[in-house]
Amino acid sequence: MADVRLDKINKIYPNGFHAVHDLSLELTDGEFLVLVGPSGCGKSTALRMIAGLEEISGGDLYVGDRRVNDVQPRDRDIAMVFQNYALYPQMSVRDNIGFPLRLKKVATDSRLEQVDNAAGILELMEQLDKKPATLSGGQRQRVAMGRAIVRRPSAFLMDEPLSNLDAKLRVQMRAEIASIQRDLGVTTFYVTHDQVEAMTMGDRVAVIKDGYLQQVDDPETLYANPANVFVAAFIGSPSMNLVEGTLTQDGDQWSVELGDQTLRLDESVLANRPALAAHVNERLVVGFRPEDLEDAAVRSDHPADQRLRTTVDVREALGAETLIHFGINAPAVDSGDPDALDELGDSAVARITGRFSPRTQARVGDAIEVAVDCSAMHFFDRSSHLAIT
Amino acid sequence: MTRRTFWGFTIPSVIIMLVLMVVPLVTTIWLSFNELFLRDINNPTWIGFDNYREVLGDEEFWAAVRFTLLFVAVTVPINMIFGLGVALLLDKVGRGRSIYLAALLLPFIVTPVVGTLIYKDLFDRGGLLAWLWEVATDEPFLITSGNVKWLIIVQAIWHVMPFAMITFFAGLQTLPEDRVEAASIDGAGYWRQLWHVTLPHLRVLILFVALISIMDAYRVYDSVFVFAGDRFTDAHTLQVYTVEVAVDPQIGRVGKGNAIGVLNVIGIFVVLIPFLVISYRDQIRERT
Repeated sequence: MADVRLDKINKIYPNGFHAVHDLSLELTDGEFLVLVGPSGCGKSTALRMIAGLEEISGGDLYVGDRRVNDVQPRDRDIAMVFQNYALYPQMSVRDNIGFPLRLKKVATDSRLEQVDNAAGILELMEQLDKKPATLSGGQRQRVAMGRAIVRRPSAFLMDEPLSNLDAKLRVQMRAEIASIQRDLGVTTFYVTHDQVEAMTMGDRVAVIKDGYLQQVDDPETLYANPANVFVAAFIGSPSMNLVEGTLTQDGDQWSVELGDQTLRLDESVLANRPALAAHVNERLVVGFRPEDLEDAAVRSDHPADQRLRTTVDVREALGAETLIHFGINAPAVDSGDPDALDELGDSAVARITGRFSPRTQARVGDAIEVAVDCSAMHFFDRSSHLAIT
Repeated sequence: MTRRTFWGFTIPSVIIMLVLMVVPLVTTIWLSFNELFLRDINNPTWIGFDNYREVLGDEEFWAAVRFTLLFVAVTVPINMIFGLGVALLLDKVGRGRSIYLAALLLPFIVTPVVGTLIYKDLFDRGGLLAWLWEVATDEPFLITSGNVKWLIIVQAIWHVMPFAMITFFAGLQTLPEDRVEAASIDGAGYWRQLWHVTLPHLRVLILFVALISIMDAYRVYDSVFVFAGDRFTDAHTLQVYTVEVAVDPQIGRVGKGNAIGVLNVIGIFVVLIPFLVISYRDQIRERT
């Protein structure tokens, strides 16, 4: 087990495509780091460079104290779990798990013992004599984990290992992988496009887009203090609502204008974001999460000047919560996530999602007031998309 | 499925199989027990096992058996190993892959007789290889009964290797990349990746190519006919020998020819039995 350090890693393909730009990350011993981003953002390329499956075009990669840029994959002391499991179909589960040990010429007795150990951890004892083709997706994934575990590597690399599983199994395996990783204490670099996996599994989460690292933080910080518009929209589901608005000041009274509506900002908002005062009368990107919206009819004590007036477009009752979609007359902002659906219709009307209490009586077509928790608002520069704090 | 739809689906192919395979086979077996001459094709005489006795006592037959088996034993393994090697190399080629592929396939596309004639030209007087030989050794190159068998075998390898190559190459295109990568991370170098990942993936195709190549090699005719002709009778294979016995317009003995045909079928079965057993077992294993 060891630290893994990426120092300004670059990947430039022969056709000139620059997939990864100056990626620097440091994984401390035993840490679970998740690299998350939309499709084609360079996250798998980064992982494959650590594994040695792709050449590193620039920068340095260290496992422990050793620079491993030019070391063969098998000599890097890392184990990898693939999205499609990559099991050897002609071998039994026992031989699959034991394969790395067999190549290391570990004596048969010791090898079988280690395989049994790994199979015990992964609850695969019953399956040891079966061939991969007869196993379920979840079991195959566990065999792939087993093959990584027996090697006792310095680090695990996992490339979207759960994306081929059905939704229920994914939730279960998510917890299992996280707990196995904690028990073994092996440094883990995990790649996914699923922000829920990132948030639930990672000690820290690195968000990457178009080959550029956007932000690395623990999940709570990432959620509470996104560094830019992309991270703000990418982390959290449903996504943060992002609209253009103008910050105004009238004496001590600070407000944000969203189209034809105005929301009063508490003093604490400016106190917590000292840089914001310099942006008065500027057009900004204003973000508020669906969970910071509520049906004003449910929260009747909410101040009248911190409400949005609108009409319900779509209602999705999920049981524990009700999602209400509505529009406001302010320009929408594109976060730059290529996987996000393009906003339909007029971009001068921003689509907003609210996560309301199930007690809401709002129905499609109803005129409603939406209570906005203005203290949880996020402000970003309109051109750089960086957070203003 | 009702009985009616079952027959509806199977009857057409059953009829075709009966007409094209079972009827000729039964006719062949029946004819093999008759004395029948090509010039008097309508007058078979039942003679029991006499044709078989004669064939099995014929030194020319055994010479043909020996050369046919030598031909199979040498060309099939070399074709497959060569084919696999070339396929693996071709798989590494990035640019111009299709040009290499087309060039490599050329011998296989050429009509066998034409291919053999071109190849034979190289060794005839004035041919490129014959000339090189003469330059190197100061002696003229002659096709002799000593070297003709090996010239035929080399020609067959040149001609048939592309079949193994293209089949294995196609198989390599379906090899999941991540399985190879997993093996490389697990600690396997090139040869172990080949042994533990690539070859198991190609297993079915290897069996298939072996099966087809053996059958094909066992039935080799055109190249031997062109090369050996009447000059080198000890380089005759079973097919050439059969044709010689059966369809010579003067002495063509159709009954004896059919007896050789029946022995051929039995022979090819014996050679193929291990492969049929292996592929049968594979099928069963896959279904359980």
